[in-house]
Amino acid sequence: MQRYIAVRVLQSLVAILVMSVIVFGLARLSGNPIDVMLPIEAEQEDYDRLTKYWGLDRPVHEQYVVFVKKALQGDFGQSLKYQGQSAMGLVVERLPATLELAGFALLISAILAVPIGVLAAVSKDTGWDAGAKVIALLGQSLPAFWLGIVLMWIFAVWLDWLPSSGRGGLKHMILPAITLGWFQVAAIMRLVRSSMLEVLDSEFVKLTRVKGIPEWKVVWKHCLRNASIAPLTFFAIIAGVLLTGSVVTETVFTWPGVGLLVVDAVRSRDFQVVQAVVIVFAVIFILCNLLVDILYAYLDPRIRYQ
Amino acid sequence: MRWKLASLFTGLLMVVAVMFGTAVAPGSVDAAQVKRLIFASAGFHESNRFWTIARPDHLQFEPFWETLVGMDPKTGEPIPQLATKWEHSTDFKDWTFHLRKGVQFHYGYGEMTSADVVHSHSLLIRKDSTATLRPVWVTVDKMETPDKYTVVFRFKNPIMPPVMMFGVQRSGDLRITSKAQWDKEGIGGLDKRPAGTGPFMYGGRQTGLNILFKRNDKHWSGRKVEFEELEFRIAREEATRLALLLSGDVHIGDLPRDLHKDALAKGLKRFSSSLAVDWVSVYLGGNWHIKGHKHFDPKAPLVNKKVRQALNIAIDREETLRTVFAGRAELAYLSLWIPTSEGWNPKWESKFKELYAYNPEKAKQLLKEAGYGPGNPLKFQIWVFTEPGESEGPAIGDAIAIYFKRVGVQAEVQTHDWAKIRNAYRKYQSKNIMWPNIIGWRPADNGVRNFYFSKGNNHHYEDDFIEQTYGKVLKSNDAKERDTLMRAIGDHIQAEYADIPLFWFRNEVFANPKVVAEMVYPGPAAGRTSHFELIKLVK
Amino acid sequence: MPQLTSTRTLPWYAIPWVVDGWRQVKRYPLFSLGILVFVLVIPAVFAPWVAPHDPYLGTLSNRLTPPVWQDGGTMEHILGTDKLGRDMLSRIIYGARVSLTVSLIAIFVGGIIGTVLGLISGYFGGKTDAVIMRLVDISLSIPTILLALVLVAAVGPSFGTVVTVLIVLLWARYARLTRGETLAIKERDFIARARVAGASHTRIMFKYMFPNVVNSLIVLATLQVGYVILLESALSFLGAGLPRAEPAWGVMVADGRELIVTAWWVSMFPGLAIMLTVLALNLIGDWLRDHLDPKLRNL
Repeated sequence: MQRYIAVRVLQSLVAILVMSVIVFGLARLSGNPIDVMLPIEAEQEDYDRLTKYWGLDRPVHEQYVVFVKKALQGDFGQSLKYQGQSAMGLVVERLPATLELAGFALLISAILAVPIGVLAAVSKDTGWDAGAKVIALLGQSLPAFWLGIVLMWIFAVWLDWLPSSGRGGLKHMILPAITLGWFQVAAIMRLVRSSMLEVLDSEFVKLTRVKGIPEWKVVWKHCLRNASIAPLTFFAIIAGVLLTGSVVTETVFTWPGVGLLVVDAVRSRDFQVVQAVVIVFAVIFILCNLLVDILYAYLDPRIRYQ
Repeated sequence: MRWKLASLFTGLLMVVAVMFGTAVAPGSVDAAQVKRLIFASAGFHESNRFWTIARPDHLQFEPFWETLVGMDPKTGEPIPQLATKWEHSTDFKDWTFHLRKGVQFHYGYGEMTSADVVHSHSLLIRKDSTATLRPVWVTVDKMETPDKYTVVFRFKNPIMPPVMMFGVQRSGDLRITSKAQWDKEGIGGLDKRPAGTGPFMYGGRQTGLNILFKRNDKHWSGRKVEFEELEFRIAREEATRLALLLSGDVHIGDLPRDLHKDALAKGLKRFSSSLAVDWVSVYLGGNWHIKGHKHFDPKAPLVNKKVRQALNIAIDREETLRTVFAGRAELAYLSLWIPTSEGWNPKWESKFKELYAYNPEKAKQLLKEAGYGPGNPLKFQIWVFTEPGESEGPAIGDAIAIYFKRVGVQAEVQTHDWAKIRNAYRKYQSKNIMWPNIIGWRPADNGVRNFYFSKGNNHHYEDDFIEQTYGKVLKSNDAKERDTLMRAIGDHIQAEYADIPLFWFRNEVFANPKVVAEMVYPGPAAGRTSHFELIKLVK
Repeated sequence: MPQLTSTRTLPWYAIPWVVDGWRQVKRYPLFSLGILVFVLVIPAVFAPWVAPHDPYLGTLSNRLTPPVWQDGGTMEHILGTDKLGRDMLSRIIYGARVSLTVSLIAIFVGGIIGTVLGLISGYFGGKTDAVIMRLVDISLSIPTILLALVLVAAVGPSFGTVVTVLIVLLWARYARLTRGETLAIKERDFIARARVAGASHTRIMFKYMFPNVVNSLIVLATLQVGYVILLESALSFLGAGLPRAEPAWGVMVADGRELIVTAWWVSMFPGLAIMLTVLALNLIGDWLRDHLDPKLRNL
């Protein structure tokens, strides 16, 4: 078991290293940040001076080595766009907003998905089942940015119930969280439904029924508890989708999280920030995967790394 | 059952869709309660290091940092601000400013003196400076401070577009900051809570979301600002900004010109800048006609004058103006110049009507003469980009592509970002590309240097005539001679169809009529939207 | 013949073969298939014949004409026009073609790459497997949209770029799926028999293993068509999608988004087209999953 974990951790490190090469290379291929920083009036002298100041005149491989060395110490360089702030500092400052939103989105999607999934399983192949499916699938059928704008217009402008954008209290979070979370509803609902179907069919449930426990209790307590293990393992994938989804949702609702940060950073060729964000996202994602893998291996001894 | 439910949902969505057609009124806000006025902006480079910030992102500094020279909100003329008067030597090299006495920095950093001006200038020429006029500021040979309230700049070269660079006009680089704070807290103090002298004090920012200001009740002008706090809320998405305005979450904001008509229909109030602010032209890659130029390719399509003329007359400017911009722009007879610019020729208007009139048939004929036709259509790319607050670029790109298509030209519109486009034309890599660009008003000689002169860094259109004539401008100290030379350059640019001039725009903002009663601002100031302290609220 | 007469007296909808046939038909997701055919397939295939106007050409003075049932609408433009006066209906019809082409190419190429690598990985095992699976891990752990943004910033937006981005995003799931299934099949008798009979590796992989994986692949591919359409629209929203002039649904929704109150039809109709198509594809995918491959509930 320990060996398995060690191997997986090592592999993850390799993955992150490969990713850093890709991002580093692509970012530099994408153009020159100096072009964004300098005004039209700038002369060649200004270009040369700033290129040197930011160390962009050195060969790319040399820049990469410097980057890795510093990154290992947690220093991802200074932001080019937000002058005066470090790239990692910006990410750390913005990460809570993103995590908060993602967490709330996950909560909303779970609140929606679990009952729908249970309902769909209990009344399989009826209208309820079909209706539940459609509600769930609708979230997977709408472009997120469009859904966000439509929700904003209905609930913020037209009904005036919720704030249209920005970050503040819980109220500010509702619309972006629905936009972000609805996409997940179908996936979670599907998992709940199928594992519920399995559990409903099991001997254990039949036994509880024989014991005379009321049906609602059988379903909502005994079955759901047993059925909830499968969706938990899906968590890693959901985490990944939520993080990437935040890029679009945060832009629409001007939610000051990492997603919004990185869109601006790409546009400004703020290499340092782009690198920091991609690597932080990847680390979070890999950690989630690792956790799930280890959990799996722990729960199911048949799966072992060969 | 599945069928029924699915159709129910579709129907529901349709209903919602139709409801959008109905009117939405601006959110209900009680003016008496507005203590914090909120302005929605498309965004800016967020940083307090003003020497790294270019126009129009100085928006974030306007409320709390002032300049030596101010700008009249109605006429745009230079007016006293931190300097009460100024004079220059006859050769325009030495500039003396007499500072206002008793101006206090915020948070108790003491009185503003000549030492603060010298300090602020030293920040502008730092190694990491990307200030708009840094190339000029580094030519200050010497700065002298004869007393606490006098400061003299001694430049190497004459400063010809007078006085502008000391004010908020256009570049507004020289923001006067506190030396006392710098000495005490270093750059960290400036990053965290910079002290200024303005009508507002810096109140902190949340990057990506907003920047906050608090009213400075002890401002030297003694003016009473009508609200306690000012917030700039950032919302890049245009739909979001409109939603913010209509829901009453913000009180005033920028909107793309596409939405102006509808914003008015929904009951928002429009305020326009007193002066024209930006012009938009489409620039044509490949026009580097200087003899022996190593990147010049005579066979490149956009280099042919007939092609340039054809493309110019293929566009119905009046229709574009009427439709895409709802009539809110003025025709540009040529790029860069307005009637107050150096060298303006009143004949350019009639000349424009003669040379640039919409005539698709003639355009087709010219293209045929240039060797293009149905079997061999002219092809090139149009690169568009969006900067916050400048959504006109893509709209123009799309529109001209359709006009071009009508005369048999295949233009592919591609969205890139500013970094990429700028890199391409700066490095002479724009041979088969044209790009619409919105550029802020600037003195004509500065514009010629930047866009039509080989020493500039933007290779739009360059040829021997401009090269020689502008060379003479650079050497001349005589206003009349300069005027004649500049006019000759303008004549030449117009006659050669050097680019596709389109429109001049004013800056326009929209406000909730229940909150904002009046806003007057010049427009060409460094932050585009400025003079927030003068806003009058509804009583 | 009494039986015949009794049949004749039955109403048409009770005739046994009609009832039977209806029962047969009802087993299929008719509604979804119908939507798919009408919204996606017919427009995509017959675009030049069914579209009333040129989707690329408009008249500025006709811009933002509302749909026919609203004030100011005309029969000329049933669903109205966009910012440049281009006919919405024609653009949506051509959009079906663009969206379908993009998804099919991306899924087909990504699917082939993923499947082949998955087969190799599962069949040979050992180091090959380890390397390929690590590649899959990396590919799956890259924040997809971010990578796409940087890539498009680097090479510029075009049809090719978008398809490439999509392929990079898609292949790994096919590889993982195929490998998993291959591992299970590898141990079965008929593979061992084929090996004893002297079949080559390639033959075993493609002749004996591939057919056993194909059902799962079809389910995954169906579900991904919708995903790809959404991804394409998200890329357009972030300014990294197909070229602006292309009448792709995603581009159209992104382009009209700020007009959502004032000219709702510009983004609403392509949005509805995306919604209906993707919903239908998802329902069909679900149905396929239930019938072809009930194991695959995690997709």
